[in-house]
Amino acid sequence: MADEIVLAGAEGRDLTKLSEFRAGGGYAALAKARGLEPAAVIEELVASNLRGRGGAGFPMGRKAGFIPKPGTNPNPTYLAVNADESEPGTFKDREIMRRVPHRLIEGCLITAHAIVSRHVFIYIRGEYLEEFEILRAALDEARGAELLGGVTVVLHRGAGAYICGEETALLESLEGQRGQPRSKPPFPAVSGLYASPTLINNVETIASVPAIVERGGAWFATIGAGPASTGTRVFCLSGNVVRGGNYELPMGATIRELVYDHGGGIADGRELKAIIPGGSSFPVLTPDQIDTPLDFDSVAEAGSALGSGVVIAIDDRCCMVQLGLRVAQFYMHESCGKCTPCREGTRWMVALLDKIEDGRATHGELDLLLDVCDRILGKCLCPLGDAAAMPVASYVDSFRDEFREHVDAGSCPFGGSSSLDRLLAPVDQHSLHPTVEVPA
Amino acid sequence: MSAPELVTVTVDGRAVQVPHGTGLVETGLAAGVEIPVFCYEPRLGPPVGACRMCLVEIEGMPKLQAGCTLVAQDGMVVSTAATSKKAAEGQNATLEFILVNHPLDCPVCDKGGECPLQDLTFRYGPGNTRMTFPKRTFDKPIPISPTIALDRERCILCYRCTRFSETVSGDGQLVASNRGAQSLITTFEDEPYRAPFSGNVIELCPVGALTSTQYRFEARPWEIQNVPTVCALCPVGCNISATTREGKVKRIISRNHPEVDEGWLCDKGRFAFSHLRAPDRITEPLRRVRRRGFAPVPWDEALDEAERLLREAGDHIVTALSGSETIEGAYGLARLLRGLGAHTAILPEETSDALDAYRLPLSAIRAAELVVVLGDEPVSERAPVLDLWLRAARRAGAEVVTCGPAGSTLAAPGAAAQVCLDLAAPGNELGERLRAAARAILVWSGPGGQGGAQLAALAGALGFAGREGCGAFYVPAAPNARGVAEAWSAASDDEGSTPDPIKLLVVSGDEAASNPHVRALAERAESVLAVTMFQGLAVGWADLVLPGTSYLERDGTTMNLEGRVQRLRRTVTPPAPDELAWLSQLAGRFGIELSPHPAVLFAELSPRLFGGLPFGEVGERASLRPRSAPAAEHRLEPPALRRPGDGHRLQLLRYRPLFSGAAVERVPELQFQRPAREVELSADDAERRRIGPGDEVTVRSNGTSATLRARIDRRLAPGVVRIADEHAGDLHQLVEVLKR
Repeated sequence: MADEIVLAGAEGRDLTKLSEFRAGGGYAALAKARGLEPAAVIEELVASNLRGRGGAGFPMGRKAGFIPKPGTNPNPTYLAVNADESEPGTFKDREIMRRVPHRLIEGCLITAHAIVSRHVFIYIRGEYLEEFEILRAALDEARGAELLGGVTVVLHRGAGAYICGEETALLESLEGQRGQPRSKPPFPAVSGLYASPTLINNVETIASVPAIVERGGAWFATIGAGPASTGTRVFCLSGNVVRGGNYELPMGATIRELVYDHGGGIADGRELKAIIPGGSSFPVLTPDQIDTPLDFDSVAEAGSALGSGVVIAIDDRCCMVQLGLRVAQFYMHESCGKCTPCREGTRWMVALLDKIEDGRATHGELDLLLDVCDRILGKCLCPLGDAAAMPVASYVDSFRDEFREHVDAGSCPFGGSSSLDRLLAPVDQHSLHPTVEVPA
Repeated sequence: MSAPELVTVTVDGRAVQVPHGTGLVETGLAAGVEIPVFCYEPRLGPPVGACRMCLVEIEGMPKLQAGCTLVAQDGMVVSTAATSKKAAEGQNATLEFILVNHPLDCPVCDKGGECPLQDLTFRYGPGNTRMTFPKRTFDKPIPISPTIALDRERCILCYRCTRFSETVSGDGQLVASNRGAQSLITTFEDEPYRAPFSGNVIELCPVGALTSTQYRFEARPWEIQNVPTVCALCPVGCNISATTREGKVKRIISRNHPEVDEGWLCDKGRFAFSHLRAPDRITEPLRRVRRRGFAPVPWDEALDEAERLLREAGDHIVTALSGSETIEGAYGLARLLRGLGAHTAILPEETSDALDAYRLPLSAIRAAELVVVLGDEPVSERAPVLDLWLRAARRAGAEVVTCGPAGSTLAAPGAAAQVCLDLAAPGNELGERLRAAARAILVWSGPGGQGGAQLAALAGALGFAGREGCGAFYVPAAPNARGVAEAWSAASDDEGSTPDPIKLLVVSGDEAASNPHVRALAERAESVLAVTMFQGLAVGWADLVLPGTSYLERDGTTMNLEGRVQRLRRTVTPPAPDELAWLSQLAGRFGIELSPHPAVLFAELSPRLFGGLPFGEVGERASLRPRSAPAAEHRLEPPALRRPGDGHRLQLLRYRPLFSGAAVERVPELQFQRPAREVELSADDAERRRIGPGDEVTVRSNGTSATLRARIDRRLAPGVVRIADEHAGDLHQLVEVLKR
């Protein structure tokens, strides 16, 4: 794929090695950026309209512009890189760190230069042990080659909490506190890590930066689907498809292209039943929406979100109530417990879904489930509550008949043949996860 | 300072002007609109927005906003549940979620009737439940300490208690554990919550999750009376309410005086009240029979006996005061005894009014930029809430320098006076900064300060007189030492010499009765008349004992370490007539007219002491009198010499722990707070003697010794050991420490 930006050059070459990476022009952008004024780098980022790849899609250049200029704030500025990729269905940052760790480091150093920061913190998901080691080795090489230029890069391993991917919870966790989100405002750009101005961006976002500096923001903006969705995305394709995996495509590729052209279509000759775009946190799409282009606006118009660039293909063997239950269980388990609606609401959702799946529910309880979702939506401290309520509510809305069938039949109509049946719920998987050995 | 900029905000259609930076909850109050809250508590630091009770609709914002996390902006239009359907729905949702796992055991909950969750549910919540699943359950109640019970089922996880523990008191012992719906409050490592301010979490808890073991099932809010008074157990004088039911004090709660205590109490002030009902409480006069034991005597006979003792003694009387009497009580005693020509009194400590020229409210400490604490005793043991103010100052960015045997700047025991001289000397770095600071505070905690005169001399030398933001506090050992001393002096202008022999020793109060110096004096006195609350304090040495009363049973006034005169109220009737009642009768027998009413006595002494301040104006939240003019001449006294250690022998630093004294000893729930049998050693001295933490050691001096467990205090100055008074026994000032 010639259009790759983030994963460019990684095919057939071991870019984890500094020499290989440099042979392909790596770290040239860093040298170029360091020759520019910080403000000029930010200008390029603004011109590129690179939007955050972590899920919220906030323009990175604008966010970097919020960081106070040197001399206007007594505290140092920090760059925090969110590598706590934990959204079910998302595995792109993992690929980036495994295959192009130096691109991430280069992006970090350029961004640090842009916001005049000498401290970078990469908060990496605790379960990503291999990725951590690859990144550490790359960092050691970069340090050995004196590329860091006086910038300290800290690799901080998380301890297995989904919520620490939320930017303010990530900062709390970095500070050694309980990983719970902070109330905003103040936003991290004003008062983030150690109450200092902090820029937080996702791995993929940062890994897009070198190309922007090298080839210009204007060039980047020509790729993709118009001014609102520039550049490429590393799409995470999973579910029952023939060839799941990460595909870096320009923004605006349709779901059909991704699932059928790249992913080889639905496996086992099954029929597509539903598509989860964005990640498990977002509303489900139905097969008639398969031609939706994967860009910010189009997916939003279709009633969901591009999120972290996920497409999960659900086939006709899947019970949507079970899917809802799995999703709700995940969020119940990962709710940090700080704010009321999320803490109590997710537990209630699980109880209701469990009852529906079991066939013991009434039609009234279907409405109650929707009402509980509605009472969580938009009332929580951070997006996690919404992330639980939105998808489940959308399953009920889009597959109401299937939910009703559970009530009417007094049992799951799939009768044990659902593809999710006997698959461990994320919660159980978590408790069965093998122990990760932490190197000294 | 210029007046803060005003912004105009509309809350539920009512325009209101508030200073820029005002929180939305306060802005609502200013407009007369309630924005309900659970987790919001400004005293705990920045808002957290956890409970989501304060959801409001704000024009221009698509989602409901947590009102507590926002500040008023000019032109903001806020709609609360009263006018916004969306906000009402949001608050209703929050309450429904909170109640999903709340047991609703209000009929058996101590909080019922004064419970914010109950109140807000009635106002904003759903009338019934749609939750048909089993509620989350926990073991309960869990005694997280002998004074506090935790009911995790009732807990709504507002994190007020953990924030208090982490931020305000800084003990860090209450923590949240687990995640999501399984989150729970616990103590660190499940250890008992042993910290001087733990009880505040009971009051902070907006539900019945943290309750007082003393108050458990004792009363319901509709059958109690809260009597406003002040705590007289230490010189801070925190404002309290005594909750009484059927003539008994059931609990002590705070009555926030923003200048004095900001609504915090120490556990001694909160839990020690049950000493009123101690088994050895004296409720009737007692006369010594033969050589051992007491026999109760009727009041008439007791007064006859007292009259006889006084008449026989003539002016050969010495009075030992406690410093815990009310101003009126001390004045009444003085009027009688000094009227008889007995002018000699032993005061618990030296007092001085020199610091009145540098007087500030305690709350000024938080606003300070630089605070210097001198003296041998930790502030937390003498005046605990003052320690909270110091913590608040640190949080607000102040530099707090402690110069003492365990300070940030080490100074030998007894060296505070020397530190004063150093600070006043030109060129001293810290002294210069004190001179330059707009808001500097000096604190002296420990003996040897001449009642604050030494500190006043330092403040004068540093030029504090002209600077409003600079002040100084002297922390006396007794709660009302100055009030008592001034009352004694106000009663007469005559002077007398110390009588020899002492024919009668009058012992006023428990502290005097347990003072070893007073006991020693009693050996020389022909007779002893003691006024004490507890039999244990009078046995064996008093000839006549009259029942004493507690600060919770007295009306009158008391003066705290700021010099603030505060009003004590009788919260319950004492089991025997109070001191002024019988003093008045006894005085009558000598033709001395003495009113039994504190109001009358105050009117008598006020012109001499308080510029004629009327009793009625002391008020429930007493104000601080303005600064007096500084004394013309300041003289820093050279320090009294103390023998230094010699490497072999170490200097013993005794301290009186916060949790000690006659009242604390009689409260079973507070025993766990008393100091362990420990000796604190510096790391240096411990290493030299190969003593590790927890080792048994013998502390020895001239023939006496004590066996204690070693504790290594890395802040302690080398050459110094610290032992709580009650474990130091008869040890001398220089001790040897040996590993057993």
